[in-house]
Amino acid sequence: MRRSVPPPEGSAWTRRSLLKVGALAGGGLVLGASIPGAIPGALPGALAAGGPADTALNAWVRISASDQVTIVVAQAEMGQGISTTLPAVLAEELGADWSRVKLESADWDPAYRNPRTGHQFTGNSESISSFFEVMRAMGASAREMLIAAAAAQWKVAPETCRAEAGRILHPESKRSLRFGDVASAAAKLKPPDKPPLKPPAEWRLLGKPLPRVDAPAKVDGTAVFGLDVTVPGMVYAAVKMCPVFGGKLRKHDAAAVKSRPGVLAVVPLEEGVAVVAKGYWQARKAVDALPVELDEGPNANVAQDGLLQIYRDALKDPSSWVVTRPGKPEGTTLPAALSAEYQSQFLAHATMEPVNCTARVDATGCDVWAPTQGQELAQRTVTKLLGLPNEKVRIHRTLLGGGFGRRLIPDFIAQAVTIAKQVGRPVKVIWSREDDIQHDFYRPAVVHQLSAALDRSGQLAHVAHKLVSPSILQFVAPPKVSATFDPSCLEGLYETHYAIPSWKVESKLIKVPVPTSVLRTTGYGPNIFALESFIDELAHHQRRDPMDYRLALLRDHARAHKVLSTVAERSGWAQRPPAGRFRGVAYCNAYGSFLAHVVELSVSASGAVKIHRVVAAIDPGFVLDPEITVSAIEGGTAWGLSCAMTSEITFARGRPEQTNFHDYAVLRMPQMPPVEVHLINSGVLPLGGTGEIGPVTVIPALTNAIFAATGKRLRSLPLSRHGLTLA
Amino acid sequence: MAAIQLFVNGRRRTTETEPATPLLWVLREEFGLTAAKYGCGIAQCGACTVHLDGEAVRSCVTPLSRAAGRQVTTLEGLSAGGRLHPLQQAWLAEQVPQCGYCQAGQIMSAAVLLAKRPHPTDAEIDDVMAGNLCRCGTYARIRRAIHRAANGGKP
Repeated sequence: MRRSVPPPEGSAWTRRSLLKVGALAGGGLVLGASIPGAIPGALPGALAAGGPADTALNAWVRISASDQVTIVVAQAEMGQGISTTLPAVLAEELGADWSRVKLESADWDPAYRNPRTGHQFTGNSESISSFFEVMRAMGASAREMLIAAAAAQWKVAPETCRAEAGRILHPESKRSLRFGDVASAAAKLKPPDKPPLKPPAEWRLLGKPLPRVDAPAKVDGTAVFGLDVTVPGMVYAAVKMCPVFGGKLRKHDAAAVKSRPGVLAVVPLEEGVAVVAKGYWQARKAVDALPVELDEGPNANVAQDGLLQIYRDALKDPSSWVVTRPGKPEGTTLPAALSAEYQSQFLAHATMEPVNCTARVDATGCDVWAPTQGQELAQRTVTKLLGLPNEKVRIHRTLLGGGFGRRLIPDFIAQAVTIAKQVGRPVKVIWSREDDIQHDFYRPAVVHQLSAALDRSGQLAHVAHKLVSPSILQFVAPPKVSATFDPSCLEGLYETHYAIPSWKVESKLIKVPVPTSVLRTTGYGPNIFALESFIDELAHHQRRDPMDYRLALLRDHARAHKVLSTVAERSGWAQRPPAGRFRGVAYCNAYGSFLAHVVELSVSASGAVKIHRVVAAIDPGFVLDPEITVSAIEGGTAWGLSCAMTSEITFARGRPEQTNFHDYAVLRMPQMPPVEVHLINSGVLPLGGTGEIGPVTVIPALTNAIFAATGKRLRSLPLSRHGLTLA
Repeated sequence: MAAIQLFVNGRRRTTETEPATPLLWVLREEFGLTAAKYGCGIAQCGACTVHLDGEAVRSCVTPLSRAAGRQVTTLEGLSAGGRLHPLQQAWLAEQVPQCGYCQAGQIMSAAVLLAKRPHPTDAEIDDVMAGNLCRCGTYARIRRAIHRAANGGKP
């Protein structure tokens, strides 16, 4: 079954396993510098690849005799800048010379599991929050070992030495040693239990913009994405899958295409059929021409109205609600003064790089080259599929041409491995954009009902929030999902800080006949759209300024109040906007960070929305790289505008109606507004994520501004449904 | 099948590939030039943009036959004499790429714009670049980088 993947094994991460040098020295790790997925170009001034003579100080860092520091990148780079920032955290603690640092892309290994989840993946905007402390500890541990080795050589106290720019210094005697001089002696020492960490005031690399390590290769065309992998003897495959979810291909006529130029094989798959050819275009044309007979299965008649009826029925049915926040008993008995229903739509990921994977199955085992976020799920899927032990399965992660959650799921990897095994030579499978959009795992539509009650003095007394959603985590973290509850569906409703006296939150998990999964913003997107729209409605209902209303409700929470007051100040909220322009605001606490957006716009009589200005403020605890953080919020704002205005997947005849970028419309350059991003360092740990949060608040800030401009409250997305366009 | 001759990044190339094959796949698979990307196959996203006799074309819908006897330039051939093209330098100065997948197409579209309009306005940039999608949303930086390149590398 293509759509069932094994659950991640909840294997414990221990500090010990990371600090153990033996793992590396024993060759247990796959750290091949020659794999196509290795980050090319790395850093300016980087030397040639380090060899086995390098000394490993722990699973994350090696030092060569000539002082080159090699740092392992175990998280997928998909534009979020993680391959710059996490190595910089380690280099900072180590006291490395950044110009002598080389990066190496790691395959799957237990040493690189996320300490929170116990498996290796990149997603949930948590690379920094999960690995910041790990990288600091690894850098500090290696530094202390280098210092101890140098101090022993000099016969001085280690406390009198320090590490700086790739050297160990002993200031009293004005002596110094290069990292390479002491690395092998340091590696023989026991790693310290609790290495001291540098105070942020002494940081040299963090907190300042570093050039992205992957930018040069992306600008000169040498960057290797999944699509660009080349393996000797490689051939190409195109696939045809049953367009209806849950359907099958009953028959295909392989003979009809076998004599076409370049065609090497026709491979039946559980989910469809693949044509393998010498060139991709030959495979594509042949698979398009391949006669097939479909068994459309039980979902052949699924249509959008019927899908939404499942939500309606669930809302009416009083059973199966799961209460997350109970509210106060006296609150729930008050009459509702205001009620509203909000709806977010189904979305596709539509990463710029369509789904693709290269695989080779031979006597040595299996090699996979893939743009994957789900390294561990991929590893487990392939070992299970082929019945091979871990050491015979090597998942080489390439650069990702966007991820957004799509590439957590290894369906496409299993497919490529199946085809490669069948044809006995390396195969690159490339999905067409149509395959990519029509065989996605979609961000589910979510329907919310909110109501509010006021007390006798007219103050907000109680909010009731009900939401109905299909599962988000079912394919990526199945152990977290029960028959009635998926924690991701409630995101944003656990951690809000509005001082509402009584607040009840209930959810219902529904089953829909289309596959649903994580997509940038996961539960936060729909939930914050509903909540921030409703807070705005309440403010207007109580004749209060929407900014002041929120600030008052957040008065007890310093970080939330600060991001909101920052956007208020920077957007000039207190001053009237230029004639014809109107503003909207929204705030959230998501992925451990705080974010607020103000959108300033005008709306023409024909419904053309012109966004003149967007102002955002974010507090992720500490901004490790200001430039990367700003670009994450700029880009997240653009993503949010696509979701708000035009992007939507609808279903008919059991399949998505959209096929490509002409009907799955996303933001284009002329529509990109100016975005100002203001950064706040509250210094609070753990650090929050910045990769996914950007779109969350711009969507309700936009609809709230449209209300201010037109008096129309738009409660369902995308806004193209309501006749609006983005000018 | 008759061989087709074309000039790619200044070098003469000969291929016997079927003439209706999109240029994109010939560049990538036969000539090993992988900077141009497949994104949509229907000229909607611009990730495959290359130059054909100095004009920007979407190579995913340009048949190989159309390139016969003509000059094709890909991102790999944009820089000259070991120096990055001013647009590539500006792209680094503005730290444009996020995932980076669309950027080859973006730079190739921008290069034709600058060749025709050395000092484009925002509106002219938007007009030409509207055909190049970026899902990471780097549009504002792309605009700044084009202005920077037009301005001799100064912001």
